Amino acid sequence: MNQSIGTQRTLPLRRAVHIAVSGIRIRIGRSLVTVSGVVLGIAFLMSNLTGQIVKTAVSSERDARHKVDLMMSLVSAEMGPAGGRTLAVAAFGQVSDVERAFLARVVAAGPAAFRALGVAMQGLTPVTADALGDGASLLFVIGDAASAPASIGDLTRGMSARVVLDTVAGRAYAGGAAGPEVRRAPFFGQEAEQQEAEMAAAARQERFRITWIIAVSLMVTVVTVANALLMSVTERFREIGTMKCLGALSSFIRTLFLIESALIGMAGSVLGAITGAAFTLVIYGFTYRFGTVFGSTNYGWLLLAGGGAVVCGTLMAMAAAIYPARVASRMVPADALRSTV
Amino acid sequence: MTASHSQTEALFRGETEAGKLDHVIRAVDVHKVFRMGDSETRALAGVSLDVRRGEYLSIMGPSGSGKSTFFNMVGGLDKPTSGKVYIDQVDIAQLDPYELAWLRCRKVGYIFQTFNLIQVMSCIENVTLPMAFAGMDSEEARDKGLDILQRVGLGDRALHKPAEMSGGQQQRVAIARALANSPDILLADEPTGNLDLKTGEEIINLFSRLRDELGVTVITATHDLKMLKTSDRIVWIEDGLITRVSTPEEMQIEIGEVGGH
Ligand SMILES: Nc1ncnc2c1ncn2[C@@H]1O[C@H](COP(=O)(O)OP(=O)(O)OP(=O)(O)O)[C@@H](O)[C@H]1O
Ligand SMILES: [Mg+2]
Repeated sequence: MNQSIGTQRTLPLRRAVHIAVSGIRIRIGRSLVTVSGVVLGIAFLMSNLTGQIVKTAVSSERDARHKVDLMMSLVSAEMGPAGGRTLAVAAFGQVSDVERAFLARVVAAGPAAFRALGVAMQGLTPVTADALGDGASLLFVIGDAASAPASIGDLTRGMSARVVLDTVAGRAYAGGAAGPEVRRAPFFGQEAEQQEAEMAAAARQERFRITWIIAVSLMVTVVTVANALLMSVTERFREIGTMKCLGALSSFIRTLFLIESALIGMAGSVLGAITGAAFTLVIYGFTYRFGTVFGSTNYGWLLLAGGGAVVCGTLMAMAAAIYPARVASRMVPADALRSTV
Repeated sequence: MTASHSQTEALFRGETEAGKLDHVIRAVDVHKVFRMGDSETRALAGVSLDVRRGEYLSIMGPSGSGKSTFFNMVGGLDKPTSGKVYIDQVDIAQLDPYELAWLRCRKVGYIFQTFNLIQVMSCIENVTLPMAFAGMDSEEARDKGLDILQRVGLGDRALHKPAEMSGGQQQRVAIARALANSPDILLADEPTGNLDLKTGEEIINLFSRLRDELGVTVITATHDLKMLKTSDRIVWIEDGLITRVSTPEEMQIEIGEVGGH
């Protein structure tokens, strides 16, 4: 017979998880109520994050399409009905996505009518400056300002073009007086940049507002979960007291509640993240067209946001459990046993 | 922790009054006062009791006399307002939480008046829970748990929940759980209160056997006269005080007298 007093060891985490899981399963009704609190909070968070991601994608795609449309309408305004006329496109250095999309539209409109300089792209044959000028009635210059030539004379030599359109702001060409008139495509100028800055500022404000709303909703979630867990502690005074009488350490009781709420938080936030994202995608699909929404959404970001939401939900649930777990672990066994709840 | 360890070691090296080593439990002038707002309840008013190793002790007393309270003090479930409780010569007030948990887990087996089975767990889970706390692996615990349940006649009820069982069956599960870690001391608060004559007798025999074969110290609170017969001593508590200590032989006479009236 062992006669001295030993020291109780901590139960392995595996056992604690096992007990926590069976606790959740048996009190499934109450657990589901707690889970639904997390689901709501995280669904709201995820729906906002998804909205942000989809809106960015959709609006940048719409914006690009709008710009390409504008470029195309400029071309047709200058050239009139394109009967037998040739549009020459000269690209320098870095070609932006919008310009690339523009080129694709040009090619799609009728490959024979267009020629491009220095752009390797399907349907476009890179040609020399001399060859480009041959018979073209309009020159469209794209690409970045740094790579553009100082003089436009080489490009327009032999061209019938009177007008040169240019997407790059502030690009000045030497020897313009005798040559063709150089115009800037309207949406690439300084005003456009300013407009974009204003829109970005508005978006920042909007983001701040949404962040605040999300923060409040998450706090509400934490309080809800804490309340549910506190009730569950009260409900289980006797059970906790019994466990202590049987040799449970206070730290085990604490761990039990933390694991339980972590599991509840994880389940709730996975569910919340999925429903929140799905709901928002469908709503945006109805507003903008499903093809646009599903085609342009950045799924990497979406996944990252989902992962973040799950981590956030789990941590929140655990934070909510701190106080209830402390109440539970500090009970004197004899008092806990007397509880009649 | 270190203090109590060195104290324990000192005691076991024999640096103590000889003879007292044999007392597995010593309660010295234990008082317990419950304060609830303005009102005070004096549940124990100076109880001193030495319990020998392997003794079978019955505590009798009217309802509210302080039996359960005394059990809680002795089992390390509550702290006395004043006075000391020694288990194996160690003042349990000096134990740190880890040692106290160890004591509750392995040294003492409790059978509560209200069973206190964990309602959400099956019989076998209830019985193996203290084994898990003692660090036993689940396979071994399962085998041992089934074995103990068999012994209390519930081998076929292992997977039932407490709510699906009768009072007597629940009590037997509670007894099985108390025996889970082969405790040195068994504290049983009215262990046969809900049992029929036959089962009650079986439980009493089980307790006697545990005492005889394993040297388990058994302390019960009871009104059951059958229980008194097997006891070594009977302690009477009234209003939080021990009023007398007697042997079953003396009791027999009294019962006889009472019966004769
Ligand atoms: N936690 C507590 N708070 C307040 N009073 C208490 C508490 N525990 C016990 N008491 C009081 O202490 C006294 C002794 O109670 P105890 O439960 O020890 O009696 P008992 O002898 O076990 O009675 P019974 O035979 O009915 O079980 C009672 O008057 C009871 O009301
Ligand atoms: Mg009692």
